[in-house]
Parts: sequence; C-alpha cells; structure tokens
Amino acid sequence: MNAMAPVPLPEPWQGETYHGRPTLKPAEFDWKVATYIAVQGVAGAAQLLAGISRTEDPEDRDGLASRARALAFAGSIIAPAILIGHLKTPKRWYNMLRIVRPQSPMSWGSWVLTAFGAASFAAWGAERMGWRRAADLAQIPASLAGAGAASYTATLLSTTSNPLWAAARAPLAAQFAASSMAGGAAAMALLQRSAGKVESARRLERLSAAALGAETAASMMLSDAQRRAGVSAPLKKGPPALLHKAGAQALGIAAPLVLRALGRPALASAAILIGSALLRQAVLRAGDESAKRPLDSLGFAREVRR
Amino acid sequence: MDGGLINRGAQEAERTAGARIEPGRSYGFFTDTTLCIGCKACEVACKEWNGLPADGDMRLSGHSYDNTGALGAETWRHVGFVERLDDRPGEMKPFQSNWIMFSDVCKHCDPAPCLEACPTGALFRTEFDTVVVQQDICNGCAYCVPACPFGVVEVSKADGKAHKCTLCHDRMKGGMEPACAKACPTDSIQFGALEDLIPRAHQRVEHLHEMGQDRAYLYGAPGTPGATHGIKKLNAFFLLTERPEVHGLPSEPVRPAPRAQPSLLAGLGTLAGLAAAALVFGLGSRR
Repeated sequence: MNAMAPVPLPEPWQGETYHGRPTLKPAEFDWKVATYIAVQGVAGAAQLLAGISRTEDPEDRDGLASRARALAFAGSIIAPAILIGHLKTPKRWYNMLRIVRPQSPMSWGSWVLTAFGAASFAAWGAERMGWRRAADLAQIPASLAGAGAASYTATLLSTTSNPLWAAARAPLAAQFAASSMAGGAAAMALLQRSAGKVESARRLERLSAAALGAETAASMMLSDAQRRAGVSAPLKKGPPALLHKAGAQALGIAAPLVLRALGRPALASAAILIGSALLRQAVLRAGDESAKRPLDSLGFAREVRR
Repeated sequence: MDGGLINRGAQEAERTAGARIEPGRSYGFFTDTTLCIGCKACEVACKEWNGLPADGDMRLSGHSYDNTGALGAETWRHVGFVERLDDRPGEMKPFQSNWIMFSDVCKHCDPAPCLEACPTGALFRTEFDTVVVQQDICNGCAYCVPACPFGVVEVSKADGKAHKCTLCHDRMKGGMEPACAKACPTDSIQFGALEDLIPRAHQRVEHLHEMGQDRAYLYGAPGTPGATHGIKKLNAFFLLTERPEVHGLPSEPVRPAPRAQPSLLAGLGTLAGLAAAALVFGLGSRR
C-alpha cells in the first residue's frame, strides 16, 4: 500500500488557510533557553580553545589553557542549571537521562552536556591537583564534547516543524557555531587581558573577529535560504526583527569592530558576548512568530526541500 | 496473553464499533468530513471522559460556529467550520449546503515526530500502535510542541506536562471504543483496526465519486496526501473534499528527524574551521 503514488489534491493551493489561524504551536522557549544556548556556546568553545592552547603551549606559560578550563567547567555547571530552570516540571530534570534517543537532538544533546560536564570537571580538577597528564588526557573528550555542546543547539531548533528554524538547517548551525566561537574567544580575551597577557588576548580578539566574519557569512546564507522558503518575514519586521538587527547585528557584530578600532578591546569583547546571547533570543522569538503565521507554515510544508 | 485487558469476553467495542480490541494490532480513527454535521458531540464526549476543563473565556470567535479554536493541552477534539459563501446560490454543491465541518484530532503519526523528539520517553507507542504521553514521566521540556507538524501537542500551564489525545488508551484497555467515536451520531468518526478502516475509507471515496462528489480523497492513509516525507501513515486519517490547507492541515507534512544530520555536520564543520585557524595563527604570546 505504501508503494502507491500520493493522490493528487483537488486543485492548486491558492493561499487558503483555516480562518487565518496558526497551524503550528510556538515552542515558547523563553529567555532562559537563549541564555543557556549562549553560555553553553561560550563554555564549549572555551574547552576547544583550551585544547588548542595545550598543543601550542605545553607549558601553559600564558595560563590560557588553565583559565579556559576553569571557564568551561563553570559554564558546564551554570548552563544546565539554567536549562533545568526552563523545564515546566523542573524537579523531573533527571528523566532526560532515562533513555537515549538518537532521533532527538534534545535527548543526545542532554548526554553531550553530561559528558561535557564530566570531562570539564576532570580536566579542571586534574589540573588543580597538579596531575597534568590526567588533565591533558581529559582534555580530549572535553574538547570534543565542547564542540558538540557549542553547536548542537541549532540542530535542536532545526529538527522541528518550525518553518523559520527548519528552512535553513546548515546555515543556522554555522551561524550558531560561529557565534559560539566568537563568544568563547571574546570571553577568553577578557580573562587574558585582566591577567595581563596582552599578546594572547590580542590573538584571541583576532580569532573572535574571524568568527564574527564567519557568522556574518552564515547569516547572509541563512536569510537567503529563509527568503527562498518564504519564511523570512519574522526577521524582517516586528520585535524579533528589531532584536535581531539591533542586538545581534549592530551590537554583536558591528559595534565590536568599531570599539576595537577605537582602542576599546575589552568593551568590544563584552559586546560580542551580549550580542551572542541576543542573537539566540532573536532566533527563538522569531521562530515563535513563524509558527503563528499559517501562510508560512502551510507554504513551507508544501514547498519543502527534502 | 491478553495484554492486561480487563474485559476478556465480549467487548463493548464489538457492539458499538464492530471492532475487537487486541494488543499488537494498529488502531485509529477514520474521520469523514462529508458526514460531519458539526454537532460537537465528539468534543463534549472527549472532555467528559478525559476530565478536561472547558475551553477559553466563552466568547465568540467570529470564525463561523467554531468557538473552540484549536487543538491543545485541554482540547483533544476540535470541530472546524468552513462556510463556502461564495459558492451560493444557484450552483450549490450537493453536500452539506457548502458548509464543511471537520473534526480534527491528534493524528497518531507513524512514525510520530513528537515521539521522536521526546528526550524522556514519556511519549511512547502503545500496544495499540497509538501515541500517548505518560504523565508520570513528562518533565515539560516542550520539545514535542515545535516537533509536531500539525500543532497538536501542547504543554499545559496548569500542570507543566505535555498533553494530547490518547485515543482513549484507558477505554481501549477496557475493550471500549474511544469516547468521541462512540458519541458521533453520524459515524463521521469511525474507530477500528486500520486493516479494516483503510479499505473501508477507500470504498467510501469510490462511493462518493460514483455519487458525483469527485473531490473526495483520503488524507493520511498510506500513499495519500498527509502521509508524506517520511511519515508513512496517520493512524487518525481523514476523508476531505477541500484542500488540506482549508482545514489548517499541511498538504505535505514532513518528519523532522532527518534534518539533524546536515545541521550537526555544518555546525561541527564551522567550529573545526575556526579551530584550525586558531591552531595556525596561534593563541599564545610569541617567544
């Protein structure tokens, strides 16, 4: 029976909806989820930077690996706590670890977070105890889990029926990953500056600028894909669009470049971190708008690319 | 070997729906819009059996006779009303005075996007091939909400758990057909084993075509619109005479799970590229 070709519908769709009512429900992931994604991104990227720093500077003379491990460990505690706070029945958070479901980014993401927390604790703790070998051994799983934790959140959004999130899965993931790296490098640059490691801070600032460049490129591909899918309206007009333009683009990308040119690198790094969080909040809010637009959802389900 | 059925002998469902309920077989609804008279007995029966509160603030929506609005945490059957005013008069079509009623419900998709999204296993596939949220496990993560291609499942503000139609799992355990199907006075909602319902639905389409209603088609039966892009069948499927969008249904629902892989690879690839740049250009001071 499955072999039958789908029966053609009575006539082409003329844009009818059911009384203009939404056909989907908004996820209503609140500011806690946006903050969680940003903190997790910074922590995951910091763990990647710790790994890179260890291969480059085995003596850790700049203290970069040590500080990055501490930041990543702190993030691996704070981020899940924020995430649990968003659950509507938070006392049952541990049910996330009840099963493993490969089809669900929320399920395997929970396991990546758990692994990231455990490995981050091991790398940080071993270093504190003076066990450098053990710390470096734990650094490998910590960096790998960090990469997963910094990027899976876009996958979580795209693996849904939400038109805005599902329309452009690859560029959204690239945008979130680049924003995570920009935030992680900016946070480490701040720490290195406050520790007086100016040269290391400069290099981290350059890395965060490169990441902002990658984020801008991904954003352009993303809005192009969303426009072609006919779902771009929530990022064009309205409060989420304003948040996206003023928060993510002006404060998160343009302002840091200007501040750096004006010789205010610490302010630039702070702007990148705030912009990274506002980008996630704008994408979540725009997604909720998208779900409420029946022309977007019905059109997307008709035109969808496989 | 009765899977815990309370009623081991004759079942009520055999008398009311002509269907014997046995674990291991697939059950569902065949909802025929050409028979619906918009009485909302299904909505009322559902609310009564499942102990669900009334909808909204008792104001009129202005959307024909639909003051229910949409499926949600506390609304598991929803009768939609579409008035085809522009068809009148003179060329009135032969069915329902151009007034199309449609009782919507959770589709119990196979595979089910909500179930595939659920990280706790609260959403599971039952012994009757239906999809149910286990209330003692759900932690209100709400990921099933955007996963659903039909906007059905919702997290209740009252208890912080996801809720939707259970296809009256408890009644089926007791050998009874679901409350909405039993209450439906015109058999617009038919309950049964899919192996019986699907051929019956195809026969109904043929019969309607013979009678002159050539727009009738099935939505959600295997190989029909609604069963598309990785969704093999909707266990609750429909007979429609209008395009699906007229009822707020997507013409080609998509299973979201296959989107994960390209997304994950793009994210990890971006991080790998930036990490490689960091390795090449260095992060520490030069000595």
